[in-house]
Amino acid sequence: MKKVLLFLCIIALLPLGSALAQDMPHAGAEIVATYMQSGTYDIGAENIEAAFEEATGIEIELVASPWAVLNQNHITDLTTGTGEFDVMSGEFWIASVWDKMLPLEDFVERDEYGGDFIPTIWQPGPSGHYDGKRIGIPYSADAYGIVYRTDIFEEAGLSADWETWDDYIATLDALAMHLEGTDISPSVFSWGASEQTPMIFLGMYDGYLVDADGNYALDEAPALDSLNKMAGLLDYNPEGAAGLSIDEANSVFLTGNAATMICWVSFMRAAAQNPDSSLIVDNWAVASFPGPGFPFISAWNLFISEYSEEPEAAWEWVKFYINSEQATQRFVELGVGSPYLSTYEDPELMEAYSHDFPGMVDNLSRAQSVPWVFEAFEIFFRNTSELVIGSISAEEALANTLAGWSEVTVPPALVQSAAAQGQQQDM
Amino acid sequence: MGVYRMTWHRRHDAPWLVAFVLPAFLIVVAVQFYPLAYSAVLSVQEWSLTESQTPKGFVGLDNFVEELGDETFRRSVRNSVWITGGAVFLEMILGVCLAYLTMGSSWRMRAVRTLLILPMVIAPVAAGTLWRILLNYRAGLLNHLLGLIGIQGPQWLASPDWALVSVILLDTWQWTPFVLLVAGAAIASIPGDLLEVAAIDGASRWKTFLYIELPLLMPLLLLTLVFRMLESLLSLDSIYSLTFGGPGFSTYTLTFYIYTQGLRNFNFGAAAASSWIFMAFASFAIALVFWFQRRDW
Repeated sequence: MKKVLLFLCIIALLPLGSALAQDMPHAGAEIVATYMQSGTYDIGAENIEAAFEEATGIEIELVASPWAVLNQNHITDLTTGTGEFDVMSGEFWIASVWDKMLPLEDFVERDEYGGDFIPTIWQPGPSGHYDGKRIGIPYSADAYGIVYRTDIFEEAGLSADWETWDDYIATLDALAMHLEGTDISPSVFSWGASEQTPMIFLGMYDGYLVDADGNYALDEAPALDSLNKMAGLLDYNPEGAAGLSIDEANSVFLTGNAATMICWVSFMRAAAQNPDSSLIVDNWAVASFPGPGFPFISAWNLFISEYSEEPEAAWEWVKFYINSEQATQRFVELGVGSPYLSTYEDPELMEAYSHDFPGMVDNLSRAQSVPWVFEAFEIFFRNTSELVIGSISAEEALANTLAGWSEVTVPPALVQSAAAQGQQQDM
Repeated sequence: MGVYRMTWHRRHDAPWLVAFVLPAFLIVVAVQFYPLAYSAVLSVQEWSLTESQTPKGFVGLDNFVEELGDETFRRSVRNSVWITGGAVFLEMILGVCLAYLTMGSSWRMRAVRTLLILPMVIAPVAAGTLWRILLNYRAGLLNHLLGLIGIQGPQWLASPDWALVSVILLDTWQWTPFVLLVAGAAIASIPGDLLEVAAIDGASRWKTFLYIELPLLMPLLLLTLVFRMLESLLSLDSIYSLTFGGPGFSTYTLTFYIYTQGLRNFNFGAAAASSWIFMAFASFAIALVFWFQRRDW
C-alpha cells in the first residue's frame, strides 16, 4: 500500500519536477486575464493560451466580456479589492481605478522590454501611466482615419493629400461635382453610432480638453467652430446617413457608394480586400487624418492588478502576449492594428498593404487618447448627436456639455495624461 | 370539546409553524427587503464608486433634488411615459382584437395562435437587433415594403420622433401576444349561457361585448395592463440593442438612465435616488390602475 501511495505521489509531482527542470520559475501559478469579447483580442489570446501554459507552466484562465461588462468588472473588482483578475485589458475609460494598478517600471527595466514600440504609442496617453509611472503595456493600435476610393480620385484628378479639414471639405466639394448624377456620395460616416461623432470633432478641434485647474473644459471658440463644421459634413453623406451604424456605413463604402469614409480602418480593412464582401478590392487606400486636431487612438493595454497574488506570472503573460511577433501575427490573422513599428516595416507586409500602411503609420504617429471618463464622454457624444440630428444648435450642444462636465471629476491619471499629450490649458 | 382540541392543537403546533415559515420569511427579507433598505440608504449618500470605495457621507435629499432637476432625467421620464403609454395602449387593443379573431379550437386557429405568440419567446436583445435591421433606412424591409406602395419610409432610427415610434413598435410587436394569451383565456371562460341569453334578448354583437363580455374581462385585462406597464417601464435590453437611447437622448428611458448612472458611471447615490423616484412613479401608475379596477364594472 505504501508503495502505491509513493508511486502516486511521484506521478503527481512529476509535472512540477519537469517544470522546474525546464526553467519554469513560475510553474504552478494560476492567473486570470481579461479581454474584450471582440472576436479579435480575445481570440488572439486563446490562440496562444496552450503555448503559454506549455512554455511557462503557468495556468491561465481567460475571461472575455463585452466592452461595458468588462469595464464594470474591472472597476468593481479594483474598488472592492476583490483581486479576481491578475491581468486586465483596458483603456483610459477605467482610469478612475488606475491607482490600483501595479507599476510596471521595474519589470520593464529588468527585462529591457519595450524598445520597439511606435514611440507615440509607448508614451503616456496611449500607454497607461499613473503618477508618472508606467502601469499599462499597449497591445493594439488603431487610429481613426479616412479611407478613399483611388479609382474615383484618379478619374476626378484629385489627390488625397489634405492637411486640414477645410482641405478635406474642399475635396468633398470637388467630388460632389464630379459625382453628380451618380449614386455615389462624396463621404460616408457612421452618424447613427453616436459615440463615434466625437472622433471627427477631435480631429477638427484645436484646443484644450482639461483646463488649468484640472477640470473638463473646452476652448469655446474653436469648439463651436469644430461642432458646426462637424455637423456640416452630414451634407456630403448619402440620404439617411444620420442613422447609419458602423457596419452600415462600412457597407456603403464597400459596395462602392461613397468616395471617402471616416472610420476605424481596422473595422473595414479585411472586408474591403475580400471579393465576397467588397466591390472595391484594390481600389481604396488610407489617407492622413486631417488636422489641426488629432486622430483618436484606440490602444488597448494590459494592466496588472495590485491585488494580484502572482504578479510575476502575470508579467510573463504580458510579455508572451505583447511582442512584435505576436502583434504582427494578430495584424495579419485578425486585423488588429499593431503598436510595433516592425510590423509596418516588414517588406512583405509593406507590399501587401501598400494602400494601407503609409496613411496608417502617419495617423498612428500623430494619434492621441482623450482624458475622458465614460460619463464625460457620454455627455459629449449625446449632445453632439443631438446637434447632428438638428435637435439643438452647436451653442446649445457646447453649453450642455460644459454644464454636464461641471459635475464630473477628472481622475488624476487623466489630468496627467492630458498634460502629457498637450491637451491641458496652459497655466 | 372540539373547540378546545383545536385551540390546543394550534398552541401545540405554533412552534412548528414558526419553524417552517421562518426560513422562507428570512429569505424573503434577505432577498427583497435588504436590497430595498440598502438602496434607500444609498439614495441619501454621496457615493461615486470611481471616486471612493465607500460612501462619502449623508447628503439628505440632495440626490433626489439633483435628479429631479436634471434635464436628462426629466426627458427620460417623458420618454418612458410616451413609450409605455403608446406601446401598452396598442398592445391591449391589438391583443384583445386578436384574441377574438383567433377564438376557437380548430387546428388552424391553434396554429395561428402559436405563430402569433412567437415574438414573445425571442430574447428582447435579439428582438432589438432584428428590428434594427428591419428599420434600416436604406436597406430595411419595412422601408422596402413601404416603397412598394409608394410611400417614402422615414429615417426610423435617426429621427428623434421616429426613434420613439420604433421603440413603441418593437414593444408592441413583442408583447401583444401576451395580451392575446391572457385575453383569449379570459374570453374562453365566459359562460356561454350568458351570451345565449343576450342573443335571445336581441342584443347585438357589439352590445353583448360592451355590456356583458367587457365587464367580465375587465378585472383580468386590468391585471394584464399592470403587468405590461411594469414590464414596459423596466425594459432595458431591447432599447439597448435597438437605439442605445439615441439618437441623442431621444429614447433615453428611466431604466436606461438608471442603468447608465449606476452601472456605467458608477454614481450609486444618484442611481439609488433615481430608482426610488422610478418606484414611486411606477407605484402611482399601478395604484391608478387598481383604483380603476375597484370601480363597479
